[in-house]
Amino acid sequence: MTICPIEKRLNNIQTDTAVELRSVSKKYPFSKTADNSSNGNFTDFWALKDLSLEVYQGEILGVIGRNGAGKTTLLNIITGFLSPTDGRVFIKGKVLGLFNLGVGFQDELTGRENIFLNGAIIGATKKELENKLNLIIEFSELGEFINMPLGTYSQGMRLRLAFSIIANLDFNTMLIDEVLAVGDALFQSKCFQRLMDFKRAGKTLIITTQSMDLIERLCDKVILMDHGRLLFKGNVIEGINKYLALLNTEKFFVGPGKKNIELVENTKKWVGDVSEWGKGLGTKEVIINKVEFKNRFGLRCSEIKSGDPLKIKVCFNVRNIVKDPHFGIAIFRNDGVYCYGPNTAFDGYKISELREGRGHFILNFQRLLLAPGEYRISVAIWDKNEILAFDYHVGYYKLTINGNRNSGNELLAIPFKISARNYLNFLSNNFIDLNLKILNDKWGQRIEKDDIKIESVQLLNYQGQKKNIFMTNEPVRLEINFSDFRVENKNYLWIGLYRDDGVYCQGIVLLVRKKRNFSILFPKFPLLPGGYRISLGIWDISAGNFLTCHHAIYPFRMVFNRQDHGTVYLEHNWHWR
Amino acid sequence: MASIIQDILSKRNLIQELVLKDLKIRYSRPMLGFMWSFLSPFLTVLVFYVVFSLILKVKIAEAPFLLYLMSAVFPWRFFQDSLMSSTTCLMDNKNLIRESNFPHFLIPISIILANMVNFLPSLLILITISFFILKGLPIFIIFFPFVLAIHLIITIGLSVMLSTLYVKWRDTKYILEIVLLLLFYLTPAFYSIYLVKTTFPPLLFKAYIYNPFVCLLNLYRITLFKGFYSFIQKDIGILSLIFVPVAFAVVFLFLGFYFYRRNKGIINDYLSY
Repeated sequence: MTICPIEKRLNNIQTDTAVELRSVSKKYPFSKTADNSSNGNFTDFWALKDLSLEVYQGEILGVIGRNGAGKTTLLNIITGFLSPTDGRVFIKGKVLGLFNLGVGFQDELTGRENIFLNGAIIGATKKELENKLNLIIEFSELGEFINMPLGTYSQGMRLRLAFSIIANLDFNTMLIDEVLAVGDALFQSKCFQRLMDFKRAGKTLIITTQSMDLIERLCDKVILMDHGRLLFKGNVIEGINKYLALLNTEKFFVGPGKKNIELVENTKKWVGDVSEWGKGLGTKEVIINKVEFKNRFGLRCSEIKSGDPLKIKVCFNVRNIVKDPHFGIAIFRNDGVYCYGPNTAFDGYKISELREGRGHFILNFQRLLLAPGEYRISVAIWDKNEILAFDYHVGYYKLTINGNRNSGNELLAIPFKISARNYLNFLSNNFIDLNLKILNDKWGQRIEKDDIKIESVQLLNYQGQKKNIFMTNEPVRLEINFSDFRVENKNYLWIGLYRDDGVYCQGIVLLVRKKRNFSILFPKFPLLPGGYRISLGIWDISAGNFLTCHHAIYPFRMVFNRQDHGTVYLEHNWHWR
Repeated sequence: MASIIQDILSKRNLIQELVLKDLKIRYSRPMLGFMWSFLSPFLTVLVFYVVFSLILKVKIAEAPFLLYLMSAVFPWRFFQDSLMSSTTCLMDNKNLIRESNFPHFLIPISIILANMVNFLPSLLILITISFFILKGLPIFIIFFPFVLAIHLIITIGLSVMLSTLYVKWRDTKYILEIVLLLLFYLTPAFYSIYLVKTTFPPLLFKAYIYNPFVCLLNLYRITLFKGFYSFIQKDIGILSLIFVPVAFAVVFLFLGFYFYRRNKGIINDYLSY
């Protein structure tokens, strides 16, 4: 096998950084603020904040982000036009920039004269320019126009000239700011070719553009910036998707803001952030105009009993034909806890297109295994990759679930059976006021008394094997053994299911008699993938306190053979027209 | 200072291109083109001549009035044009600066050099006319390059300082206009220094002398007009005549580049907004 010499060289070079930024910040001391308190005064504006970056030789780096994200400031700092307020910049070799379409061009001068002026500014000698003049003119394909004043040039022609000049001069790193998209297809492909030549020659390129196609075609790596911060660094496709998600979450908001980075991580699917609720996002190619909840009798309702079936009907109006859409509905508890968010893509439905006009889709939940309380429903129609919503009503619709609460602020109402032999007194219908708040800072701790010993807490699968990883919807048996158990009848056994992040999923309360073994069967354990924990305690109702408690001691994990989001799987199906 | 000179020398090519750019932009469109570089100072002189000599009947003993006016207006035009366009030049050329990180002061210097290209031919014409009207040139003509150099250095120093100042403080331009107007009337352009000496109290006259332009214009006249020295001798001592402009040249040059060095890092910040 022969080894391509260029490949080999590239690999050697990769280890050398061409541009390195170490926690670079840039402050503009003179941005006028709009608010009245400091009217007319200049306050600081951080265009870049604590940005670290390494670009290796021979790499093409794409810089993406919304307008005002700090991309151009970053490039200006790399060229040395601006010096950072904080941090350090290391540059190897000569940097050339192609900014806003040949900004250094003079309209009164001809193309040829501009070549000399521009070349001199960039730092080429007259001799070098004279030698390369023909190459430059030839590459630009401007022909006769080269002797015309630049004022007569179109944007595309300016790009041709500007690119031709820097492409024919010597440099180590080239920066291109939002300009390549101006050229016609032919010249663009010529540019790409030349850029690839540079890459092979071990030169470094940094490109900013709003054209994701271009980024995808050219770049080896991208960075995503927002409000002067680095949100993402790495894989191109991933970066682009994150950027598109970012565009979708916030509507073209420019300027310094309170955004946090995690939001971008979360928003790709459903926003759990309560502050987003009530917003309508999306491109509005499809408009959701009515959402109805229907109970088991098919009647419209806004309240439903826990464990009942629920039908959600969403009517929409298609303004432009859309390809490969999918529907999504998400249920949140009122405090933002994400319960479940099924969509047609996860469920394997394929909708090839939505034609103009009215339509609707229906989501049927067979049993709503959610604890009583107030809930919010988000409704969306997404594009193929769930990146851009056509319409997305975030937390728009309120739903109340009625029923008896078991203990504390539960999220779920997963059905279970107590095996007959040790059926004691199951209190599903009587609310016991367990004060779970006293466990607030006891996560992972034990409160113990000598005379009560919890021997073992086990989770078994349907074959009776002890396990701590289960598949969603598998039958699961929970067995608890006490070695020593002398407590009065007034005491209750409490079993709590917690999510790893501390969300209380479900509590089961049993009246304790002089029994040592308890067994609880979940015929279908619907928790979605993630880490969970079991808590166990003996509650003394007269003292209003736990006699003993192992809070979130027993971990287990859930896995699922398909993609789904949320906490609990609710059986459902979809219909649409 | 050495590094600045080195900068200038190493960027000769860039300065040359900038000067060419300036001249081409200035003269490529007007119909008369380069002719304007002669025409416009001569027309200014003509206007002054009509106003002061024909209407106000100002009389000067030292030299023919037309020559006297020309020797003041040409250097003054050069000075004023250079300062006015240098002040805003960093702002005007921020796109050029953005292209590459060359020292900012090359731009005001290139503007001054471009103005010099206009200024020198008109001086040659002045020398020729003086030669014919006064029937010869004074011996002091050998010091003429020296006078020109002082003038150039004062202009460069001030231009670099003002161009830096303007970037931070945009009022500079308007203040400069007024100051230049005042300075022009404080300079013996169309009146003789003898007149000032007789009307001003001695102390005020001493202060008046410290206007570098009073001395500089008189130095121009001494080197260009035959017999002018004998007149001026009585009014100002030759030593202060030389010392004041040289001192100003040194101070301005130093101040200009010191000011530039101190603000070098932040100029681009201000330019980018």
